[in-house]
Amino acid sequence: MAGKIKEMIDQIIEKRAKGNPSIAKITRTKIVFKGIDPDEYTPDTEDDPEIIRKVQQIADKFGVTL
Amino acid sequence: MAVAIANTTQKSVTAAVADLHRQLSMEEPKMVIYFASAHYDPHALSAAMHAAFPGIVVFGCTTAGEIVGHKMLKGTIAAMAFGKDIVEDVVVNIGTSSNLKSAFRSFESHYQISMLDADPEKYVGIVLCDGLSCAEESIMDKIGNLTDITFIGGSAGDDLQFAGTYVFASGEAYSDSAVLALIKCGCCFDTIKTQSFTSLGKKLVATKVDEHRRIVYEFDGQPAVQAYAQAIGQPVEKLPEYFMRHPFGLMAGGELYVRSPQQLKNDSIVFFCHIKEGMMLHVLQAEDIIQETAHAIKEKEAELGTLKALLNFNCILRTLHIEHEGLTEEYGLIFKDVPSIGFSTYGEAYIGHINQTATMLVFA
Repeated sequence: MAGKIKEMIDQIIEKRAKGNPSIAKITRTKIVFKGIDPDEYTPDTEDDPEIIRKVQQIADKFGVTL
Repeated sequence: MAVAIANTTQKSVTAAVADLHRQLSMEEPKMVIYFASAHYDPHALSAAMHAAFPGIVVFGCTTAGEIVGHKMLKGTIAAMAFGKDIVEDVVVNIGTSSNLKSAFRSFESHYQISMLDADPEKYVGIVLCDGLSCAEESIMDKIGNLTDITFIGGSAGDDLQFAGTYVFASGEAYSDSAVLALIKCGCCFDTIKTQSFTSLGKKLVATKVDEHRRIVYEFDGQPAVQAYAQAIGQPVEKLPEYFMRHPFGLMAGGELYVRSPQQLKNDSIVFFCHIKEGMMLHVLQAEDIIQETAHAIKEKEAELGTLKALLNFNCILRTLHIEHEGLTEEYGLIFKDVPSIGFSTYGEAYIGHINQTATMLVFA
């Protein structure tokens, strides 16, 4: 299976930014500071359980329900 | 009057505060921020500043050098008072890496807003951290989780003594803490983040780290010092000479966030900020600090119009570089037409904890 990590990251950014492009950009940067670079993940990226766990933790910290 | 600026070279706390109070006379200031050399007794200074400006929100921190307009100073206190036309309202709280939520609850209670949904165009935060706490990353991370309001600032210094740094609020001096000020702005505001580096085109991935101690043991599976030496084409024993010219950069959204090496420890590199395992870092090349900073200010003036006030949180490594290159006067001239104060920091705050950068809060 592939693409879940990008899907989760996109959802975090979308739900946090609520359509505000400035907040979307800053949220991406916050995710980079947390150790996950959104640009590294595409729909073809394999679903690595360890990365999925880290992205879920980021969602939890942001108060975003995936 | 939008702002009043003061600077004192008086050596005693009593005389210094009296001098600042005299210079800062303005009608109904809402907020006074001050940056003080570490030679002043921190507890006495904070108490005296609080007493001198009753009913006004007063906060600040110790420094590794003060900036007042076009002057870069040492052993003084720089202060700025803000009128209601700039600072409509302000609340200050103390936070720690383990407890920011009570500060945020206080902000929410004061402004009757949710910090998560508050409008980042109306509010801006200032964050001043203890510069020796190594807690800045955790504090900035937690702030970023709790709000989308921008918090900008820097880490307190102590004139390069590395013995004790303090933040000031409500008449107290704190270590192991951060002062968090949430401002409801009465005018237009924005932030500037400027660093004078470009990527060398070489990237290293941190593959073994001690994040809490800010140590990188390995890049790309090699001892960190060897990988760094290869990247910049210099022998290992000469690496410390190149720290300032070739720091590292985290790239996010096309923006660089500088991570500066502090020292070599056997085969590892100790940084001035943390590096997470798996982070890809660009190796950087220093560019013209005067040109880059002047460009950043001019660009903001073109966007916002005349700047009414500017707070400059300037990395001590930039200050040392400027002094070493004899550029102090030239750097100062960039700010000659802008009412500004600032200080040389032990790290800058903008989204995260960063190095070799100037973060600025501007009002227009």
